[in-house]
Amino acid sequence: MTDHSETAVLGKDSAPVIAEEELVEGSSLWKDAWARLRKNKVAVGSLVVFVLICLFCVLGPFLSPYDSNAQDLFSGAEGPSADHWFGTDTLGRDLMVRVMVGGRISLMVGLVATVVALAIGVIYGATAGYIGGKVDASMMRFVDLLYALPFTIFVILLMVAFGRSMWLMFVAIGCVEWLSMARIVRSGVLSLKKQEFVEAAVSLGYSHSRIILRHLIPNVLGPVIVIATLTVPAVMLLEAFLSFLGLGVQPPNASWGVLINEGQANMEIYPWLLLFPAAFFAVTLFCLNFIGDGLRDALDPKSAKD
Amino acid sequence: MNALIGNPQEDFLVLDEVKTHFDMGTTLLTRESKGVVKAVDGVSLTINKGEILGLVGESGCGKSTLSRTIMQLLRPTSGHIWLKGRELSAISDADIRSERINFQMIFQDPYASLNPRMTVLDTLGEAVRTRHPELKGDALRGRVAELLRTVGMNPFQMKRYPHEFSGGQRQRVAIARALAPEPELIIADEPVSALDVSIQSQILNLLKRLTRELGLTMIFISHDLSVVRYISDRIAVMYLGKIIELGDAEAIVDHPLHIYTKALMSAIPEPDPNAERNRHRIVLEGDPPSPMSPPDGCKFWPRSPVEHSEELKTVEPPLVEMQPGHWVSNCPFCVGTDHQA
Ligand SMILES: Nc1ncnc2c1ncn2[C@@H]1O[C@H](COP(=O)(O)OP(=O)(O)OP(=O)(O)O)[C@@H](O)[C@H]1O
Ligand SMILES: [Mg+2]
Repeated sequence: MTDHSETAVLGKDSAPVIAEEELVEGSSLWKDAWARLRKNKVAVGSLVVFVLICLFCVLGPFLSPYDSNAQDLFSGAEGPSADHWFGTDTLGRDLMVRVMVGGRISLMVGLVATVVALAIGVIYGATAGYIGGKVDASMMRFVDLLYALPFTIFVILLMVAFGRSMWLMFVAIGCVEWLSMARIVRSGVLSLKKQEFVEAAVSLGYSHSRIILRHLIPNVLGPVIVIATLTVPAVMLLEAFLSFLGLGVQPPNASWGVLINEGQANMEIYPWLLLFPAAFFAVTLFCLNFIGDGLRDALDPKSAKD
Repeated sequence: MNALIGNPQEDFLVLDEVKTHFDMGTTLLTRESKGVVKAVDGVSLTINKGEILGLVGESGCGKSTLSRTIMQLLRPTSGHIWLKGRELSAISDADIRSERINFQMIFQDPYASLNPRMTVLDTLGEAVRTRHPELKGDALRGRVAELLRTVGMNPFQMKRYPHEFSGGQRQRVAIARALAPEPELIIADEPVSALDVSIQSQILNLLKRLTRELGLTMIFISHDLSVVRYISDRIAVMYLGKIIELGDAEAIVDHPLHIYTKALMSAIPEPDPNAERNRHRIVLEGDPPSPMSPPDGCKFWPRSPVEHSEELKTVEPPLVEMQPGHWVSNCPFCVGTDHQA
């Protein structure tokens, strides 16, 4: 590939214009990781199931003849039937629609809170790691402090102060989850900072924001993506827990957490009320964990070709 | 031949008593100082435009610290550095950024010195735009292609990523990146020691040719004297953060004055088998002392085979010009004629 006979002197040769199409396309580390991920059957299967569940929850309510809050007291607490595939709850609401609508909320909480956590954590952690020294020490001390704060009390305080609201819950969960994100990004940036390509970027006089955004963050994104995938189920569990405490989503609105809570109250008489939402919730959590594991293997630099 | 510390206004690069120390901080409980690493401890040097200055010395003698200090990646603890009449060491951190395009560095490890997430085009394009921010699209690609040809690479590979190239090719890309801002000074810190021996000479020849053709000035760092001997016009020998001998490459290689330089030279194998059989080796005992507690006086006395006087164990000998342009740390016990190489 190297061609020694034809080396030119800078500036003396007028180089012919290179057309974009003639260039050999490289294969980025992302592409390589994607290729590895595709070979992982469990991860791909999980991804497919997860996408199907998302579609089911997002599109389902439009296709169903029932309204999630419409009560039909004459057909209360019926088992699965041709009319109501998942059965109905004690108020005669169609369980399938409620599972779909609850899934929307649960998935949205998971995604929104994770995105909030991601944005705060990556920027905060990268800044602390990049600046280093005393600034880093005090920034991470603050993170330790928040870690030590009991989360439930923190959320209860928020709810008491600002009143119950779903958005507040997103913020509250996001505020807790960004802490571990910030720690991971910071330690990644600290070790990257010593790498020669970052020193090269500094010696080229690039701005701090350019170095952080173009040279540091893309190189810590691998582990961050893995953590994010694993954060989504953690957040969904948190939401279920908060709803269980009555601090999260309020009836008649539903989330999987709320449905499971309602279901377990009547577990012995009407088992399907627990079974369906719990099954969806569990399968989703499993899928996300398998996807996260698959991503970790695919992005692992040790298995990356060098 | 210029003085050790030349005229900052006229000479290309002047170092005046540059010291770079690392304060190791204090212990957690007792607050005692953990000491200071005197990695570079008073280096004075004048480098002429267009020359290749080789910098040699054992591992840990401060070569990389000195190069990072000249690059202003580390700021000197004391002393002054002038490049073309501008005192770099006096420019503020905020203002140094725009000066950096004038001096660039080639790093040791081509596997770590390129951003693995960026194509060669992105890496080089970004570096080109430090000098020519207006370039983009076809013009930028053309310029990157030109750079790649200059370092002997196929320009059609510019959309590839570092992991798709061999070590030697990556080092060529790293060299192209250092050339991209059109600097006048290049510091190459062990640019070939991570490469296969078969690739080393290609890269050395490339660096030598580029320096001549582009009118660059280069500081070439290595612990391998045979490499330095091949590429350099002048050689500086470093020991424990100081320069102990400096002169034309032939003078240093063929007529070294300091016993430490003689020992380094005698470690180079001779290509001629007869000469190799007669090669008289001066073997150095032990490791260099820690730069945290360097010895007083002649820095070399604890390791020297020649017993030093009490005076030279306490008073540091100065660098003197023994022969025109040939400077040596003037210790009568290290600079003698009785221990021939
Ligand atoms: N950031 C730092 N903090 C503390 N000590 C340092 C730091 N960088 C270098 N040192 C110390 O300074 C001394 C000189 O190191 P330097 O890397 O400059 O040596 P070198 O001549 O380049 O060695 P090598 O041939 O191994 O690359 C060593 O003792 C090293 O441990
Ligand atoms: Mg070094």
